[in-house]
Amino acid sequence: MGPPSREAWAQRLGAFRASPCAFLAGPQGEDLGRELLSDLRSDKLSEQTKVSLLALSLEYAAQLWPDAPAAEAAAASLLDTLVLLPPRPSALRRPLLLAATTALAAGGALGPASGAACRLLPLLLGLALGRDLGRGFGPASEQRPLQATACECLRELESCQPGLLRASLGPLRAGLAQEGPVQPLSLLLALALHNALALQPRAGAGLQGLLTARVAAAGDSPWSWTLAGDSDVPFEPQAPSWPEAEEGARGLLALELSPEESRELRATVAQLLDASYLLAPVAQAQLLWLLCRALRGLRGQPPALFKPQLVRLLGTAHPGCPAPGPAPPHPPLLPPLPPELPRKLSAGPRRRGGRPAAARAPAVPRPPAPALCTSPQPSLARLHLLCLLCAEDTEEDDRGQGGSPQRYLEELLAGLRQRAALDGGPRAWATLCFQASYLVAHCLAGQPAVLTPLVRGLAQLYRARPVLAPHFVDLLDRVGPELGEPLRVALCREVVSRPGGDAALGWHLQVLARVVGAGSQSATLHFLQAAAAHCPDWGLQQALLRVCRALLGSGGGGGLADLLQALARWLEDPDGRDHARLYYVLLAHLAGPKLGLALGPSLAAPAMASSLVAENQGFAAALMVREAAAPMRLSVGPRVATGPCPVLQLQVEALEPAYSLELRFRVEGQLYAPLGAVHVPCLCPSRPASPLLLPLQPRRPAPTRLHVQALYTTPAGLTCHARLPPLTVTFSHLFLPFPQAPRGAEPGFFEELWDSCLPGGAESRVWCALGPQGLETLVSCHLEPFVVAARPPASYHVAIRLPPDSKLLLRLEAPQVDGVPVALRTDDWALLPLAADYLRGLSAAA
Amino acid sequence: MAQRAVWLISHEPGTPRCGTVKFSRRYPTVEKRASVHNGANYVPVPEDGPFLKALLSELRLLGDDKDFVESRDSCSRINKTSIYGLPVGSEELWPVVAFLKNDMIYACVPLVEQTLNPRPPLISISGISQGLELLFGIQDFLYSGQKSDTELNTKLSQLPELLLQACPFGTLLDANLQNSLDNVGFASVTQPQKQPAWRAGTYKGKPQVSISITEKVKSMQYGKQDIADTWQVVGAVTCKCDLEGFMPNVTVSLHLPTNGSPLQDILVHPCVTSLDSAILTSSSVDGMDDSAFSGPYKFPFIPPLESFNLCYYTSQVPVPPILGFYQIKEEDIQLKITVNLKLHESIKNTFEFCEAHIPFYNRGPITHLEYKVSFGQLEVFREKGLLVWIIGQKFPKSMDISLSGTVTFGAKSHEKQPFDPICIGGTAYLKLHFRILDYTLTGCYADQHSVQVFASGKPKISTHRKLISSDYYIWNSKAPAPVTYGSLLLKQRQPIKSVRCTLLENCKSGAENDEAQHSIL
Repeated sequence: MGPPSREAWAQRLGAFRASPCAFLAGPQGEDLGRELLSDLRSDKLSEQTKVSLLALSLEYAAQLWPDAPAAEAAAASLLDTLVLLPPRPSALRRPLLLAATTALAAGGALGPASGAACRLLPLLLGLALGRDLGRGFGPASEQRPLQATACECLRELESCQPGLLRASLGPLRAGLAQEGPVQPLSLLLALALHNALALQPRAGAGLQGLLTARVAAAGDSPWSWTLAGDSDVPFEPQAPSWPEAEEGARGLLALELSPEESRELRATVAQLLDASYLLAPVAQAQLLWLLCRALRGLRGQPPALFKPQLVRLLGTAHPGCPAPGPAPPHPPLLPPLPPELPRKLSAGPRRRGGRPAAARAPAVPRPPAPALCTSPQPSLARLHLLCLLCAEDTEEDDRGQGGSPQRYLEELLAGLRQRAALDGGPRAWATLCFQASYLVAHCLAGQPAVLTPLVRGLAQLYRARPVLAPHFVDLLDRVGPELGEPLRVALCREVVSRPGGDAALGWHLQVLARVVGAGSQSATLHFLQAAAAHCPDWGLQQALLRVCRALLGSGGGGGLADLLQALARWLEDPDGRDHARLYYVLLAHLAGPKLGLALGPSLAAPAMASSLVAENQGFAAALMVREAAAPMRLSVGPRVATGPCPVLQLQVEALEPAYSLELRFRVEGQLYAPLGAVHVPCLCPSRPASPLLLPLQPRRPAPTRLHVQALYTTPAGLTCHARLPPLTVTFSHLFLPFPQAPRGAEPGFFEELWDSCLPGGAESRVWCALGPQGLETLVSCHLEPFVVAARPPASYHVAIRLPPDSKLLLRLEAPQVDGVPVALRTDDWALLPLAADYLRGLSAAA
Repeated sequence: MAQRAVWLISHEPGTPRCGTVKFSRRYPTVEKRASVHNGANYVPVPEDGPFLKALLSELRLLGDDKDFVESRDSCSRINKTSIYGLPVGSEELWPVVAFLKNDMIYACVPLVEQTLNPRPPLISISGISQGLELLFGIQDFLYSGQKSDTELNTKLSQLPELLLQACPFGTLLDANLQNSLDNVGFASVTQPQKQPAWRAGTYKGKPQVSISITEKVKSMQYGKQDIADTWQVVGAVTCKCDLEGFMPNVTVSLHLPTNGSPLQDILVHPCVTSLDSAILTSSSVDGMDDSAFSGPYKFPFIPPLESFNLCYYTSQVPVPPILGFYQIKEEDIQLKITVNLKLHESIKNTFEFCEAHIPFYNRGPITHLEYKVSFGQLEVFREKGLLVWIIGQKFPKSMDISLSGTVTFGAKSHEKQPFDPICIGGTAYLKLHFRILDYTLTGCYADQHSVQVFASGKPKISTHRKLISSDYYIWNSKAPAPVTYGSLLLKQRQPIKSVRCTLLENCKSGAENDEAQHSIL
């Protein structure tokens, strides 16, 4: 089978270029490299096709011959093809040289072991130096271009293996002094010199000898493989980072040249510089760059060597030229410029008259003049500089002057806003305006004089073009509070002052969801209520709910519950209704700060669930209960002797705010049934708390102690646990009155009770001491609710019910000066000591 | 100082991929070096498809911009350079030099000969400057003299061969690709002489040297007390030297009249072999510049074969050639306009042409116009909303002309009427277009007898001069106008205040002049 035709190759190359990886992985890919090499020798293919094959190998050498052996074989094959070319003019010699070089360098095959390299390098050097290669390596007319090409190939090999041409410095220098092509030889010599100097301390050999040798030292191979092949340092970066370079990375390799070496080096550099005007501008830049780097820090190489060339180049219209020391500031940063303009001139506008230092063009911003409306990059760069100028001016306290940079900045921003406000204008204009605002906020955050008009202007821009809402939200998200807070307030005011049925309602809601906050809730709610009637579709309803949610996060507010309830009924979309209901439930059941936390940090999160289970640390911390000091004091208040069971009245004194407070009680011993928890939604030190009522269910009518624990949420949303001092339930706390006897039947009722206590019960007599107030006061203070029958001030019959089913009856009769004898009966003998203690307690209190 | 890859991508909005790679070139040897220099941070150059997509996205050229896209439109995403980082898989390819010009995206990836983490400052990456040079060079080649798509395609098809010449291993040898093109077909006998790299061949024929000085004058005039008007002259000296020999030497001298303002900001072509440092020290940026040097400015050079710009300069001339005043009053649905123009007496009053264009942006078509002009004719382009006042070849003896009138507009329709982001509300301008031959505002001239040529044969030497207007704006004095920072700072300068007052008076009295009234329906 013959080689593929021209068309077949064109097709193959096209398919390969479209996606080299896919092609090489496919069935045709396997043999591509091999067939390409063999077809280069085919007689049936035209030179043109072969050139295109070589072009492919120049670009994709690493893919075609991925490892060193393959690359070596390919380079050898390419060299064979080159040698076999008939001695007539051919377009293949140049690309063959380039391709062989590329294959060797890209495939990592360059080294003393490479036969191809050992053939290629002498060939290239011979060509570069214009030597007669015998048998006429190509016709004479091709020598000049081949000489240049050989120089380029050598330069690339030297770049990949620094030091490769070290031994050829002298011949190259001699070649340059003769009639060789100036540019290729100059660049090659400069690179070889640069690398030789960089490697000099390790090389050891004298530079002078290398520079003056007319031919490579006899018997010595011109290829210092030992040096170049040193795999530890395959590359010495030609341009280490700037500061590093200044600090003298070279310092480590301090190079001491002898006076003779210095002189020879200076002569070589001067030779290169003198001819440099013959180089193309970019090549001059490379040459100077290399020489500056090579000579940096070397003694005996005065910078004045460079002066004439630098003076000339400083005035040339082409950038890209390096200078020794600090580099020219412009080239890499300049945006593309119209080619007809001299580049230096187009960097800034001309100014007339004097103005001190800071405002040196090209730093001076240019206004958006009609013909000057360029891409946003230069505009932003100039604006940034202007901001810096403003900052500087403020430092100088040069404010209030007409024509200050600040005023100019304001006008510039106003112009940008005006453009952004144009209906139907491209988004890029809006983006530019907001980028400018961001830059200003970033650079001049501490300057209210700049920020105030900026906020006002942005609010006006919103009024003019609410469609820019996403830009506003973005800006608010990015700027600091200096601009963000006033802008938020201004935008909130701007939005809520609109009628609810505005055509831009969707944008308003988007902005509102970002800007609502404390202080504007009533107006916001008013706006939302009006807007709710104009939200027919799902998107708007969701936007509305997002605002509600943002309101929830900022603490809700009185009308929000009503609005959410209304939305839960009105909205047509079930999803919307569900959300409204959910928000309502959350609002009704969670304390404000906790609510904010439950809603999660992100307003953008579409669903509640995701934020509730958010795996963020803050939320995990919020879920943990932590021990804390009690946020309140608890005490037992006066007895409440009503109802079917005894109730302990607890007085609460709040020490710090607590939300969702739960008080848990544990009775000492098994005297009472377990007590239920008491819940308090909110405790606040500034507000008096109503007393708490704790119903007791005694199993035995006996005093006890209650252990109290509090579980509550702090304003920060943290759940805390605290132990409170135990509370004492006294005997008297258990007293309950008997149901009222019919009027007039009281004495009989009491006698009935009295009699019923015996014989199962017990009877006793106790002397109860009386204070100066007498019996009447004692009874009214302590026993009033339980008096069944009385003949004041001398006789009181007291009947006390003690849950669960005991009674205590007292007869207080015939008081004397210092006390009263008390007859007591009970159906539970165990009560007698308690009752006696109680009565003695009364007398002690008296 | 090398490129890892170069691309030319045509931007095709509206197509599915929004662009096509027209040309790409990779340099595997440079890529090899990148992998060593960049170490662990090395990101290989992607294939064309993924690169195209990432680049278009980064340059905001993918699809329409109807919606706000945070990654593209966020205010904090500010890039002040043409250097980008492109997401490639999970990594980022950086630096990528790219810019869009004439619907063509020019892109390349320079080699960074150091580690990428932390990112080195752009200034320390020499490949970036070179990359920009290469891309500018390609751009110049594609669009110099190119008129049709066919020509563009021809030039695109020449690119692979040209880059093989100008940038065989990713290191740029000459940004002037036209030179390389001339080299491609060049197969002369061996040349023993030294020859500049930019002078590919030799000229055979009648020797001649042509030198032309073109000055462009720009101006912004506001007619306001608190904003100073500005004007600026930029000159360019273009040469075409048809001379035999490998290295002909030419010296051109520029002269100024006595008391002429010195030339500033001089930039010369790289072919200039030496330069007196006195020429370079005068700069418009330096406010205190009072250098005494005023020429002659000597430029010795070895000319390239093609026409080239020998040098550029600026100068600070004391007055603008034409002082203007423009005022618009909005009355109901009409605009009342008044224009006064005055040619300075020192200016040569012989124009090739002189026109004042008065556009009305962001309004409907002109439906009705009443006007009177003291000189010249007025043309009306109703649909475009444009008035063109043709002043002709000469100003009248008084040097002072005026136009006044009322313009009525129809309903605005977005598609047809011109839209402008600056001229909103009362903000409006008139733009002067003029050209004066055989004249320069600075007075700068090249004396043909002072041109020295060291080449075989006596060449014919010709010199030309012209002054043309460029961005010459006169803004409505009754509304805000874009101002330069510099013009705000200049309070004390009022050399033409008296002239301005005269103009204002003329303007008022002009309304009462009884001149022919024209009316257009």
